[in-house]
Amino acid sequence: MGGRNQRSGAGAFVRAVFNILIKELLQLKRDPKIVPILFTAPVIQLTLLGYAATTDIKRVELAVCDLDRTTASRQLVDRFTSSTYFRVTANVDSQDQFNPLLQSGRARVALTIPVGFEADRSGGRPGRVQLVADGADAMSGTIGLAYAATVLQDTAVAAGAIPLVNLRPTVLYNPDLVSKNYMVPGILGLIVMIMTMMLTAMAVVRESELGTMEQLLVTPLTPGQLIIGKLIPYALVGLAEIFTVLPVVLFWFKVPLRGSFLTLMLLTLPYMLCTLGLGLFISTLAQTQQQAMMLSAFVFILPQMLLSGFAFPIQNMPAFFRVLTYLVPLRYYLVILRGVFLKGVGFAVLWPQALALIVFGVAILGFARLRFRRRLG
Amino acid sequence: MNSSSPQPVVVARDLTRRFGPFVAVDKVSFEVPPGEIFGFLGSNGAGKTTTIRMLCGLLAPTSGSASVLGLDVASQAQEIKRRIGYMSQRFSLYNDLTVEENLRFWGGAYGLFGSAMADRTEWAIATAGLHERRRTLVRSLPGGFRQRLALVAALLHEPPVVFLDEPTGGVDPEARRRFWDLIDDLASSGKTVFVTTHYMDEAERCHRVALMHAGRLLALDSVPDLKRVFPLGTIVEVACSRPAQAMAKLERIPGVSEVALFGNGLHVVISRPELAATLERSLAAAGCEDATVRAITPSLEDVFIRVIAGAEGEAA
Amino acid sequence: MLRRTLAIAVKELLQLRRDPRTTLALFGMPIVMLLIYGYALSFDVQHIRLAVVDQDGTRAAREVAQAFLESGYFDLVSRGRDPRVLDPLFDSGRAQAALVIPERYGDDMAARRPTTLQFVLDGSDSQTATTILGYARQIIASISPVIRTSTRNAAVVPVSLVWYNPDLSSARFLVPGLLAFILMVTSVIATALAVVREKERGTMESLRATPLVALELLIGKTLPYLLLASGAATGALVIARFLFDVHVRGSLLWLAFVTLLFLAVSLGWGILVSTVAETQQVAFQLGLLTSMLPTFILSGFIFPISSMPPALQVITHIVPARYFLVALRAIILKGAGPEVWWNQAMGLLIYGTIVMAIATARTVRSL
Repeated sequence: MGGRNQRSGAGAFVRAVFNILIKELLQLKRDPKIVPILFTAPVIQLTLLGYAATTDIKRVELAVCDLDRTTASRQLVDRFTSSTYFRVTANVDSQDQFNPLLQSGRARVALTIPVGFEADRSGGRPGRVQLVADGADAMSGTIGLAYAATVLQDTAVAAGAIPLVNLRPTVLYNPDLVSKNYMVPGILGLIVMIMTMMLTAMAVVRESELGTMEQLLVTPLTPGQLIIGKLIPYALVGLAEIFTVLPVVLFWFKVPLRGSFLTLMLLTLPYMLCTLGLGLFISTLAQTQQQAMMLSAFVFILPQMLLSGFAFPIQNMPAFFRVLTYLVPLRYYLVILRGVFLKGVGFAVLWPQALALIVFGVAILGFARLRFRRRLG
Repeated sequence: MNSSSPQPVVVARDLTRRFGPFVAVDKVSFEVPPGEIFGFLGSNGAGKTTTIRMLCGLLAPTSGSASVLGLDVASQAQEIKRRIGYMSQRFSLYNDLTVEENLRFWGGAYGLFGSAMADRTEWAIATAGLHERRRTLVRSLPGGFRQRLALVAALLHEPPVVFLDEPTGGVDPEARRRFWDLIDDLASSGKTVFVTTHYMDEAERCHRVALMHAGRLLALDSVPDLKRVFPLGTIVEVACSRPAQAMAKLERIPGVSEVALFGNGLHVVISRPELAATLERSLAAAGCEDATVRAITPSLEDVFIRVIAGAEGEAA
Repeated sequence: MLRRTLAIAVKELLQLRRDPRTTLALFGMPIVMLLIYGYALSFDVQHIRLAVVDQDGTRAAREVAQAFLESGYFDLVSRGRDPRVLDPLFDSGRAQAALVIPERYGDDMAARRPTTLQFVLDGSDSQTATTILGYARQIIASISPVIRTSTRNAAVVPVSLVWYNPDLSSARFLVPGLLAFILMVTSVIATALAVVREKERGTMESLRATPLVALELLIGKTLPYLLLASGAATGALVIARFLFDVHVRGSLLWLAFVTLLFLAVSLGWGILVSTVAETQQVAFQLGLLTSMLPTFILSGFIFPISSMPPALQVITHIVPARYFLVALRAIILKGAGPEVWWNQAMGLLIYGTIVMAIATARTVRSL
């Protein structure tokens, strides 16, 4: 028998892993679905989601009922009309007409200027108005009222009523308060997760499906070598995805990248550890590639979308769920992404997240590997 | 240890494997000396694949023991894997890789690299006759070539013993013959070949054959010795145009112990060779004028049927 | 014809009874998901991490800081004099907002000179930031008297009312959306799986169909699922009422009508998927893909449609949940009658008809 086999040593291990790596890459290269999955799909997903996931409330629909019809009241109405916060969608004669407007959503805020508005103000009394907000859409409601309060205060200031205490806001990191700066990096994280996790799971399951798994098991290759050899290509795929999608983020959506690109890539690696580990874990549960896909989607992706702080802030969750989110890898990666893009921070600030992801990743991989071995034999 | 007879390459002692209540392999014992083509014959579900998987270290025995090249399959599986070749029942090369890429991968899996890898890859391509097709994707290879490729891929690391599980499934007879020529070459160069099959004609090419049925090893002997279960002349072939009618008639003749449909005719087992002559007359009298009877050498299939019937008779 | 349809429905019901897993999934999953996500997801901003930089130190300054903390929205994470602590606090995320009280605040207040407080915000999450800013403004307005610079009273005092959801609980907003989302996903998948299961078993082939028979088949198959999903929807609404305080203001009858309409459309969509998929696995995938993602993103469940670019708003018309959500919120939260949401119902009806027509045509062609 060939004495060329080196029984031990790091050299043999690296050669074994490299061998598997090359095979995986060759297979990836030959897969006709590769280009759409790796490149087209993420770009489309990012674009669609990036546009849809806006929470900016602008130009709130306003209904106006001016019962006073004086110069002062008309001036006030003008202020609302010309403000960028509002869009006047209805001008009605009586408050009764508010109900259908608010119910149908044609107006989200309704302003009533009662009779005597100008008279009050000329007589030294504050002018009174009534605002009604649609509370069913909680966000628009609160924000609509806040906008209205601002307009009213500006009116007062312009007319000479200055509050004693003023508030000057300074907005850090996202001065124009555009939601895309917050959401789009999050979407990037989501896409990377979905791709690496699903592809890894499917790749491993495919070996079982095709029968090559048995042949692999009869070789001296250890489960460790197999796992590492299979995961590295998909880590590379994940990084390639970031490369592909980043231009869309930076140049199409114009999200600022204030931190360093290198930091972004390096801090993605611990996250990748988690998603690849999850993918491997899924592969030990599924018998077919289709099963692997469904399992990923329903059990691992949806909860992460909802509970990672991607769309719903974690701080708003009840205590039980807040604690639960510590188990969601995407949570940490979102902090990393938003930190690097918007805050321009680096490893010095983000090391706790990186550490958490490493710990997680190692744990998940270890667990997956155990299951892997048990399934084999 | 006897120094003149060589150590057996594969040893099984009461090897058993259970899956829950189902006994797939039931106390199987045998020994395979080096250089032998050892055939494992049986129908599907007889336990052949399970046995092979235990010997290759893919499956642990429930009880009993086995060793390959002196290494215990339960505790030294990793060591065994380094030294054996295996061809699984399902085709298990990568369809989306070329011939060369497959060889390089599987060779690498066994630790080959550098000039050794290059030499063995060339050997493999030459042996399998794939010169012109070295860059072809495996999925585009014709059936016979795929089997040969799988075989040489299992041999890249020059293992002294190779396990083949139904290696010629779905392949035409000509390709099967050529495949078995390769196996003969292997054996004559000193390699031990452990092969399972359900084709009788392939089993005939083995040195020794083990008959498996329902997890039990029913018979183990060289092919000629197996056939001696039928005393000379006691098995005849009857050819006629109405086999069913002939069968009904033959079964009632005293001295006829078994009648079985075989191809287009019948194989009949008689208690004494002399009865053969009378059969033709009996058949003609019964209306099968064109029936011919002649003595044949028993085939392994006949042996198999006889052995199984015997075992089931015992169990009943 | 009715008899045949009923016969198919009964058969399907019996099969369902023998498949407890699907039944449990179809009935139980919506409820479980509602429980989990209904509790977890909220836009109500709380536990705002506030840093206070008090460069003044007077009692007035302390009162201002106190006003923030007593509002119940803010949690104090740091208090000191030095504004340089702010950068690292914001960078690490330990602080989301900071109140900086300048040196002569107390003096200015006493002398009734206008003074300015600085409020620093982490603007990354713009939605939360805007809300926080709103809170801050409210708090300041409530403690700050107004100086008049003329005899004319220039102040304008609003009386604010919030309709439909007076305590502005985001659960009332989210729960209907969650309901629509969950119902859509489970209905589509269940139906698609059911029909494809038939295909796999080969029992579909035994029908030589006229269009009428195909329609009977499709309707008969979906009826039991309609029943199950309605049951799940009812259970979910009960939970919403008792756990999340979501009362149905409008008429239950109209609610039932609109919900049934929506369910019918989802089931129709499920059937359409089943005509495309060959195996159960593909049916599941396709069903999931076409129901989950679009509903999540484009139905108005989380992201308001009115905030989306116009092109995208047009695209949202292909998501059935979009129509349902508007009508649902109108009925549950606003007590609106059909004159308000009839166009949404119309949309669902048209949508459903188109989907059913395509599904039927495809089924006929494949038989």
